[in-house]
Amino acid sequence: MNTLLKYEKKQSVTSITFKIMVLLTIVIIFSPLLPGLIGLIFAAFGYIPAIDQYTLSLDGFNELLAWPGLHQSIVLTLFVSISSTLLAAFFCFAILQSCWHSRWWKQIETLLAPIMALPHVAFAVGFAFLFTPSGFIARLFGEQINWQLIHDQYGFGLIAALTLKEIPFLLFMSIPLLKQLNISATLITAQSLGYNNAQAWQKIILPQWLPKIRFSLFAVMAYSISVVDVALIIGPTQPPTLSVLVWQWLNDADLATLPKASAGALVLLLMCLATLLSIRSAEWFITLKCRTWLSNGRFSLPIGGKSIITITYLITLVTLPILLLWSFAQRWRFPDITPSRWSLRFWQQEWDYLLDVIANSIMIALVSATIALVFAIIVHEHSIKAEANKKFLKVPRLLIAIPMLAPQLSLLFGIQVATLYLANQYYYLWVTWAHIFFVFPYVFLALDGPWRSYDQRLDKVALSLGMSPFKVWWKIKRPLLLPAIWIAWAVGISVSLTQYLPTLMLGAGRISTLTTEAVALSSGQDRRISAIYALLQSLAPFIFYIIAIIASRKTGSLEQQTSTSTSTSTSTSRISTSNVSVSQQSNHP
Amino acid sequence: MRKLLIGFGLLLVSAFSQAADLNWQTVEQKAKGQTVYFYAWGGSPEINNYLRWADKRLNSEYGVRLKHVKVGDIAEAITRLAAEKTAKKNSNGSVDMVWVNGENFKSMKRYDLITDSFATQLPNWHYVDKTLPVDSDFSEPTLGLEAPWGVGQLVFIYDTETLKSPPTSFNELLAYAIKHPNKVSYPKPPSFHGTSFLKAALLELASDNTPLYKQADSKTFTVISAPLWDYLDKLHAVAWHQGKQFPASAAETIRLLDDGELDIALSFNPNEATTSQQSGKLSETTVAYAMEAGALSNIHFLSIPWNANAKEGALVAINFLLSPEAQSRKGDLAIWGDPTVLSPQYITGSAQKTKLFKSIPEPHPSWQAALEAEWQKRYGH
Repeated sequence: MNTLLKYEKKQSVTSITFKIMVLLTIVIIFSPLLPGLIGLIFAAFGYIPAIDQYTLSLDGFNELLAWPGLHQSIVLTLFVSISSTLLAAFFCFAILQSCWHSRWWKQIETLLAPIMALPHVAFAVGFAFLFTPSGFIARLFGEQINWQLIHDQYGFGLIAALTLKEIPFLLFMSIPLLKQLNISATLITAQSLGYNNAQAWQKIILPQWLPKIRFSLFAVMAYSISVVDVALIIGPTQPPTLSVLVWQWLNDADLATLPKASAGALVLLLMCLATLLSIRSAEWFITLKCRTWLSNGRFSLPIGGKSIITITYLITLVTLPILLLWSFAQRWRFPDITPSRWSLRFWQQEWDYLLDVIANSIMIALVSATIALVFAIIVHEHSIKAEANKKFLKVPRLLIAIPMLAPQLSLLFGIQVATLYLANQYYYLWVTWAHIFFVFPYVFLALDGPWRSYDQRLDKVALSLGMSPFKVWWKIKRPLLLPAIWIAWAVGISVSLTQYLPTLMLGAGRISTLTTEAVALSSGQDRRISAIYALLQSLAPFIFYIIAIIASRKTGSLEQQTSTSTSTSTSTSRISTSNVSVSQQSNHP
Repeated sequence: MRKLLIGFGLLLVSAFSQAADLNWQTVEQKAKGQTVYFYAWGGSPEINNYLRWADKRLNSEYGVRLKHVKVGDIAEAITRLAAEKTAKKNSNGSVDMVWVNGENFKSMKRYDLITDSFATQLPNWHYVDKTLPVDSDFSEPTLGLEAPWGVGQLVFIYDTETLKSPPTSFNELLAYAIKHPNKVSYPKPPSFHGTSFLKAALLELASDNTPLYKQADSKTFTVISAPLWDYLDKLHAVAWHQGKQFPASAAETIRLLDDGELDIALSFNPNEATTSQQSGKLSETTVAYAMEAGALSNIHFLSIPWNANAKEGALVAINFLLSPEAQSRKGDLAIWGDPTVLSPQYITGSAQKTKLFKSIPEPHPSWQAALEAEWQKRYGH
């Protein structure tokens, strides 16, 4: 009797602690949304104390609608984001189908780290240098090529660059998913039923992969809608995409453009939501309406994943040596293939100032990514409990995604004012908090697929054998999900390292990171100095990706585990083998 | 009675200026140990290195640290100040000093983001060349709310190897572009240099350019600006990428000139060709020149926000940047090459070689917004 009481007491203490942790997480993660969104909505409807406007009006929207070329700009933005997202998803799946666990897979996976670590801005700079009419490719031919890929009217160059940059991200996010989907067993089963390899991938694995990768696709879509820096470097200019327009208005010397800018930011946010719904409905359409196609064995699409991955890697990896050359170039003129004069000057000039900047960047990234990781795990665990127990309120996914989907600039204005009211001299606190806020959705997303694919029955078995809930988590769930956790951590670090606006706006310039320096310098178009910062910007996340990949290999996937592995995991693979089915698995979002 | 009144008025004026007078010794004492956060465009390694030098000098001489906060566009700082104004943060602000002119200054003035008048009370003010229009910024009176720092002139740069006699008027530029299609362009407005190109062209093409120095109203604007749009229609048809794309900035025109995509680049620094040669961005055969009518000229300034935390430090820093030593180094062709605002006799070194072109003053600011809006309507999409 006594022991039973003690047990119950212990139970309630654990659950109360957990509840407190959930509450704390929600406060820290979502409280910046309040001033951010309120600030955005108020500003969009004309309430901007900064410029002595205290009355609500629709002027901002009217000015926005009166902007010549707004419609073209919106259509262009949608075109760019939808095409780059769909292409990236299609190519990513093609690569997986052709290369998963082939001879090349190990190389592909190893190379993912440097490719992903290359920041978007650095990649855009390199991409532009390859493809301008007097760019590197033109230099190889020895004459200017009159193609239009950089700043072209239809955004083809921007679509190409975004697609190339997002394929590795989606691949990276797919690795833990596929490891849990138990592909080899599926393929064997499918082949025994007479499906060939391509059919098995497209009809059995695709419907399972799509819902799990959904959140990553959301991230890609949202990023491509609200991206500013890459669009400035290679995107169309007449008109530019809507995000670029909003950014220019927000940065206009004349503060009277603020209502128009805020209205634009709100429209951008709504556009994001609309396109996300379209992804969701496309997925629903594919997985539900194409059932006949799924179950008839006659037809599958041929896709050449090997050439796609080769092109992706080639273009991305070529940018690195080019950046390296530029950082040592004193003079490098068209049509020279290599610089004509070399110099160490730029490295020497920056060297003394770099240490501080690098230390700042890495410290903020480590702290914010680690905290965001802990929070993301807590929220995921809470969601599982909420699904099982209707008394728990679930955290809506959309809310989690907002920091990822909303244009940063519009949220930050409100957040900035809020910090000013509190105490803005704690620059490091605000910057780190803002980083946690913007990093969290990405970390959450990196864990989303693995957490969904985790077989809950393992927990049930362990609990019924008398383990405490925390022990179950630590001893069974954690080891199985550790590869995903490592990878999520690296994603968090790399996202933190690329944060420009939060660092600048909340750090008041007191905190310079590699990214703030890089962006400020890129406005001067001096390729040599931009190259130095782009290289360093790639190096930091690269190191952490390498750590994460090595660590996640050490912790190992189910499929790769040898026969010496623990009995838990072999039983898992047995259990999950029984999961393989040719029909569509239901997935409740 | 009238004499009395005048006398009383004079008394008032002198009392007023007394009250606002800076006691420089106190300022220097208070400034010791302060760190000045200086928000300035950070796109040029040459400028950044110059400011690093200024930081070292200020630290050893006055115990003031000058920390350059690199921004991609100074408007970011204005937005920041606006947020601080919203939160009624009237002291301990995060911005101590800004590098501004034109639209940004107008904004700061209009929304009360600037400290009290200080420029004429700086000890080094007497070095400043008063023949330069240092008391107006894009025809906006400065009232001592900002101190001049350097001179900008809209110049064109070309390579003597590819181009023997450069076009010296906008009409000649069009004739050149027709002969050499795909080789002429200008930065896309509303970028600073792009709008400047429009203003300079209109000043030459307008039948009468006196209205350009007065407030623009829509009727005058339509009549006066008509020749500019005719001109641009013809120019775009033969311009780089047929006017479907424009370079994003003056910096990009310089890169495109070096890459051989453009024959003529733009800059607001008359010494740009020389400094770019020194840093390896342009070939030794490039030359900067101004149009025959002169070069659109303006001055860029330094100012202090109303809520600056290190106000005294900022005053000391600005005063130092106006010293003959700092101005001579700024004008050094191997350092930055930005023309001085001091009288020439105080300048030493290669900065002495700078010869300014005949200057054309900036039109009334109202024209800027109107030109940008009209350009956007016609060509921006």
